[in-house]
Amino acid sequence: MAKIELGTTFTAQEHVDKYRAIYYAGASGDFNPIHIDPDFGKMVGLGGVILHGLCALGFVAKTITDWVGDPGKLKKLKCRFASPVHLEDTINIRGEVVEISGGRAKIALQVTNQNGIEVEKNVEAEIEL
Amino acid sequence: MAIDTRFIGKTYPEVKYHVCREKIREYALAIKNPDKHYLDENFAAQTKYGTIIAPPTFCVVFGAHLIAPVFSDQDLKLNLAMLVHGEQEFEFYEVVKDGDIITSRAHISNIVNKEKLDVISIEVLSKNQLGEDVCKGVYTFVIRK
Repeated sequence: MAKIELGTTFTAQEHVDKYRAIYYAGASGDFNPIHIDPDFGKMVGLGGVILHGLCALGFVAKTITDWVGDPGKLKKLKCRFASPVHLEDTINIRGEVVEISGGRAKIALQVTNQNGIEVEKNVEAEIEL
Repeated sequence: MAIDTRFIGKTYPEVKYHVCREKIREYALAIKNPDKHYLDENFAAQTKYGTIIAPPTFCVVFGAHLIAPVFSDQDLKLNLAMLVHGEQEFEFYEVVKDGDIITSRAHISNIVNKEKLDVISIEVLSKNQLGEDVCKGVYTFVIRK
C-alpha cells in the first residue's frame, strides 16, 4: 500500500501503440468506426483514428490502482474527454491527493499528451483508505 | 434535429452478463494492465478476493450491452457519425470477480440541447448475482450538429 497523505503525488506514462484502438475495440466491443477506420475518422473531422476515451481512462485507473496496490480500493473515477488521443501519442498522468476525509482520499489528476495538451479534464478519483 | 428531452428517464431492458477470467484477461491486456490480480490465478487465490478479479473499468464491457440499445433507439435518432464520448463517471462498489453474473439496467439520465451540439447522458447500474451493487456508470455523449 502506498503512503497516502495530503499532497502525495504519483505519475505514470503510457504509449498508445499503433494497434491499441484495435485491441481495445475487440476487448470492449466498441467498434465505432472513428476508432478503427482512418478514412472514416478523417471524413468526420477527427484527423484519422482516435483512441477510445474509455481506454485512456483505463490507463488512468491503472495508474491509480498500481499506486494503491489494490484494485478494489478505487471507488470513484470521472473525467471529461477534452481532446482526442491519437495513435502513437504518449499519455502522461499525474495524480495528487487533494483531500482526505471519511476514510477516503480524493485525488485530482492531470492527463496530458506529449505536447502538454490536456486530453482529459476535471479528472477526479476517490480511493478507500 | 435536436434530441427530444421528453426521453429523459426512458429505461431500457436489463441485460445479464457472465464474467469469465478469459474476458478479464483480454480486457486487462487491452488497457495495458498486466496486474496479477487480473491475470495470475495463483496470486489471485492468495488475495483477500480469493480469485481472479476484474479491473474496475471492466464494467464498460457489460455496460456496452446497455449503451448499444440507446444508440440504435429509433426514437432518439442519434447521429452516430457525429457522436463522441464527452464525459464519464464511475462509482465502484463490490469488486467484480471471475464467475460473477452481472445484471445491468440503464436509463437516460439527461438530455441537453445546445446551439451546436446535443448532450445525452445514460446511467447504467450493475449488480452481481448476490444483488450487490458493483458499479454505477454515467456515460455522457456529445453529438455535434
